[in-house]
Amino acid sequence: MFGRKGRSRFAWLLLAASFAMVLAAACGGDDDDSGSGGDVTYGKAGFKTVEIAAGQPIKIGYSGPLSGDLKGIGEPILKAIELAAKDKTIKGHSIQIVAKDDLCSADGGASAATQLLQEGVVAVVGPICSGAVVAAQPQYEQAGITHVSPSSTAHKPTYPDRGQVFETFLRTTYSDDIQGPAQAKFAIQTLGAKTAYVVYDTDAYGTGLRDAFTKAYEKEGGKVVGSEGFEKKQTDFKAIVTNIKNAKPDLVYFAGFYSEATPFIKQLRAEMKDVKFLAGDGVKNDEFIKGAGADAEGAYLSLPSPVYTGEAYKTFGDLFEKETGIKRDASPFVAEAYDAATVIIRALEKVAQEKDGKLVIDLKKLNEEIRKTELDGASGKIKFDARGENVGGETPVSLFQVKNGAFEQLKQ
Amino acid sequence: MPVALTLSVSFWSDQFVNGLTTGSLYALIALGYTMVYGVLKMINFAHGEVFMLGSFAGYGALVAMGGNELSGPVIALAILGAVIVAMSASVSASVVIERLAYRPLRGAPRLAPLISAIGVSIFLQYLVLEQTSARAKFYPDIFPRGSIGAGPFEITYIQLFLIASSVAMMALLYAVIQRTRLGRAIRAVAENPTNASLMGVDVNRTIVFVFILGAAMAGVAGVLYGLFFQTIRGSMGFIPGIKAFTAAVLGGIGSIPGAMAGGYVLGLAETVGRELLNELPGVNLGNQWRDVIAFTLLVTILIFRPTGIFAQRSTTRA
Repeated sequence: MFGRKGRSRFAWLLLAASFAMVLAAACGGDDDDSGSGGDVTYGKAGFKTVEIAAGQPIKIGYSGPLSGDLKGIGEPILKAIELAAKDKTIKGHSIQIVAKDDLCSADGGASAATQLLQEGVVAVVGPICSGAVVAAQPQYEQAGITHVSPSSTAHKPTYPDRGQVFETFLRTTYSDDIQGPAQAKFAIQTLGAKTAYVVYDTDAYGTGLRDAFTKAYEKEGGKVVGSEGFEKKQTDFKAIVTNIKNAKPDLVYFAGFYSEATPFIKQLRAEMKDVKFLAGDGVKNDEFIKGAGADAEGAYLSLPSPVYTGEAYKTFGDLFEKETGIKRDASPFVAEAYDAATVIIRALEKVAQEKDGKLVIDLKKLNEEIRKTELDGASGKIKFDARGENVGGETPVSLFQVKNGAFEQLKQ
Repeated sequence: MPVALTLSVSFWSDQFVNGLTTGSLYALIALGYTMVYGVLKMINFAHGEVFMLGSFAGYGALVAMGGNELSGPVIALAILGAVIVAMSASVSASVVIERLAYRPLRGAPRLAPLISAIGVSIFLQYLVLEQTSARAKFYPDIFPRGSIGAGPFEITYIQLFLIASSVAMMALLYAVIQRTRLGRAIRAVAENPTNASLMGVDVNRTIVFVFILGAAMAGVAGVLYGLFFQTIRGSMGFIPGIKAFTAAVLGGIGSIPGAMAGGYVLGLAETVGRELLNELPGVNLGNQWRDVIAFTLLVTILIFRPTGIFAQRSTTRA
């Protein structure tokens, strides 16, 4: 088709075109989808009515990381859910937790959703990670299965791209729209950090937190002097550290999980001993201190959870430690997970009806009942708005610093 | 988001050192690909996993010797011990793989050993992922921190150690290939196995030695990787494996100097190359772009120089 010369000209053309596309994509920047408030319009959720035969358990699903680096987040959460369902019966039917490992990934979230729907769950706690939530939402919506995440904090699940809010999604934790600004305020007012370098996971959680923090930080008068993304499982942060060293920020802000924060902070501390380090809920985990050792010292972490003071948290915490042998604050979101399961079970108790020896559950009514929840839960007050956002709490962000190998809560 | 970099000399020298560091690792691993290709005309896709196994063996050795508790001059001995253990592990794995997965397919069509190699790669990767429940392990943090240098030119001890030991290993390998009987046999087999066997070279034995040499390099790379990045996991072999393969192709697959050069070119392109592109007005390529840059480079070079930078002189063999 091409002569020799033609072929090489074609190759040049192809190369130039691909390079131009790379540049265009690189300069395009991210779309600003952070619309605020506004009217909430739901898509069409496929609510059905399900029947459960006599003697069969009611199945509640769980989707979260149960193997891999982030097992340390997913496993304690599952234990808390199982605790909430333990020994509970609804009109003679026991409750069974069906757990699926989604590895905290988008692919995993979608495939766990498929599996859980096939298992015939009536509701789901999870997914745990925002990346998985975003990937799984359409499936749950289509099947009319309400899912309550105890830990997905990203902006996107409650502000989806296409404008229609998912009716089947709710969360018992708080959005990064709250965590990001709280971190920014802390960085400026308490730490006195005027410049920040932002390092983020490129998934829905990392980019969401990055945007929320950056916006609030700049509004507070801070300056973001650079930002770089990374992929999950990346271990080579050397080039990023060199860029940070060059930019000389007061603060390094990390939006991601402890699995990458651990190698990152080791490489950062090898060259910059004194720069302040601030990260969110994905890093606030005992695994971070275990992995990073002395390099974790002095790191600041935030958690979109209230300062747990309620009696319900104490009761839950004691029970959790007794039943599972895991410390109540070793990993975040266990109280939120207990509450998410409780919210679902309470609604089931009200909605489930006996009919001809079978248990009949109207998924639409279940969804409505869950949305009407008002609970004084282990993690604080829980009440949902139309987007599925928890609006119950009063001081929904707490801050910590690593001191002597432990997280110490800071006074606010 | 604008990145305001006041690009200083020290910045460029740091990035250059970073490029040399990753480049050294790529080069060490790439040698295994290129040598096996040289004698068998086969791409050993399990080589990334041989590297991974070496890294895990080195980790096990360091932990057994005391891990984070090690201090003082003992550290040097411990690292040497870890390197030896890692090399032995990689070499044994590689020899077993060759015997079980490649040799029975010696006469088969070229795709068969390739598929077999991919199978071995996936098998080993998931075996280790399963054994570690897919969680990362952290290398003991024993290498002394700090750096050496003058003015804007600085290099951390670990980076200096990594680059120096890679270069030493490569020099050693090059001497073995060029100066010894074994090396001559390897070169003869690479040129023409039938002729070599007619001249009295034991072809099967020579091929095993090629696997041994390549795996030893990968084992060293495994420990260096662990000491430097400190995080290892069962899937760690995949990306460095692909990158090293790229480096081997870039340099001209089959060529030993080519693999070394390819490794460094790739390492520098990813770090210094990306920052150079960022100097262009309006360009801001984040860290995630480094793979795009690496593979764009590969495609570009292959379009204009299909045999790689160091093209083999004799490519007549079918």
